[in-house]
Amino acid sequence: MMRHGFFRTASAGLILSVLAAAVPMFAAKYNTIVDIGAPMPQFSNLPGTDGKILSSSDLKESVVVLAFLANHCPWVRGTEQDLIKLVNDFRGKDVRFVGVSVNRRADDALEAMKVRAAQLGYNFTYVYDESQELGRKLGATRTPEFFVFNKERRLVYMGLLHNSPASMRTDGTINYTKGAPMEFYVKDAVNALLGEGQIANEETRPQGCSIEYAQSR
Amino acid sequence: MNQRIPYLAALVFLLAAGCSRQPRDIAAAKPAPGLQPITFEAWQGKLVGARGAITVVDFWASWCAPCLERFPHMVALHERYKESGVRFVSVSLDDRDDKGAIEQARSFLARQNAAFENYLMDENITDAFQKLDLLSIPAVLIYGRDGRLRYKLTGDDPNRQFTNEDVDRAIETLLGETG
Repeated sequence: MMRHGFFRTASAGLILSVLAAAVPMFAAKYNTIVDIGAPMPQFSNLPGTDGKILSSSDLKESVVVLAFLANHCPWVRGTEQDLIKLVNDFRGKDVRFVGVSVNRRADDALEAMKVRAAQLGYNFTYVYDESQELGRKLGATRTPEFFVFNKERRLVYMGLLHNSPASMRTDGTINYTKGAPMEFYVKDAVNALLGEGQIANEETRPQGCSIEYAQSR
Repeated sequence: MNQRIPYLAALVFLLAAGCSRQPRDIAAAKPAPGLQPITFEAWQGKLVGARGAITVVDFWASWCAPCLERFPHMVALHERYKESGVRFVSVSLDDRDDKGAIEQARSFLARQNAAFENYLMDENITDAFQKLDLLSIPAVLIYGRDGRLRYKLTGDDPNRQFTNEDVDRAIETLLGETG
């Protein structure tokens, strides 16, 4: 009986090891490409709404937040005021916020981005990843979706801005789907990297519009 | 002319149910030309895993631009396969409390002549995504004749987002299976 138990346990362990080996190394719970700890992909010469270009080597701050956005998306429209407020909250701190648009549809492309950034008063760099390489390398598939990197440019958090995904309704009001936000994931991650508090959630389930990638197949 | 489509669709479903080996489950799900609210519980109990026909479920919303772009393909597939024992269902993940969005969804379905079952997920939308185990839409779930989920086509992997051709191939594969 014990022998059977031992072999059963050993077999199960072997099977689990094989299965574990078969799982992609970087697959996270909600991201098929990267996991926490992954390096920030290098990028270069992404055009911004401010008329400048941005490369990853330009980012000198201790903390970098990449926010994947899309002008047309009501979930982005439901979140952007909270994002603007968050950027204001960290004004003067050693953190850089960068918005990234990836979709190739005209209403999400650079000219439309410039209009949106001006209308809403975006207080962060907003760049266009037309090649879609940055979004693809990070496995960003929803907007809005946030990635927070530490000084070594390792990923420490990815997912939602806060715990209440919000969308703009057709009448222009904002619907916080889970009521007033109570958990501020990006803010907590940035604060932790600046030496205040800890990161309680490393990955949350992003919710919003899909990012459409050009398929090579 | 368009007013006849729901009745024709109903007739096709009934005929398809009559030809299947387990007709009762299919007959229970009647085609609805409008946008009918349905809770997740009801969705699970009545719709998921209906046996006897291949079931194609399109999750969409009026706020989802790629969903709107893909939808005509679903309508075309329904036209192509409606007499082949393939059942089409759409489920809107619009905000149930946004009257403007619901109206947009209804008029879109009307313009598309979506003459199949069209539901509105009657849940808090964040809860709906979690209960349905969906990260984003558009998403197409395809169930085999045995009621089992056979294909979950999503955009979750940037290097392998599903295409209309993936939907076509999945249906053809299931139609090619015996039983």
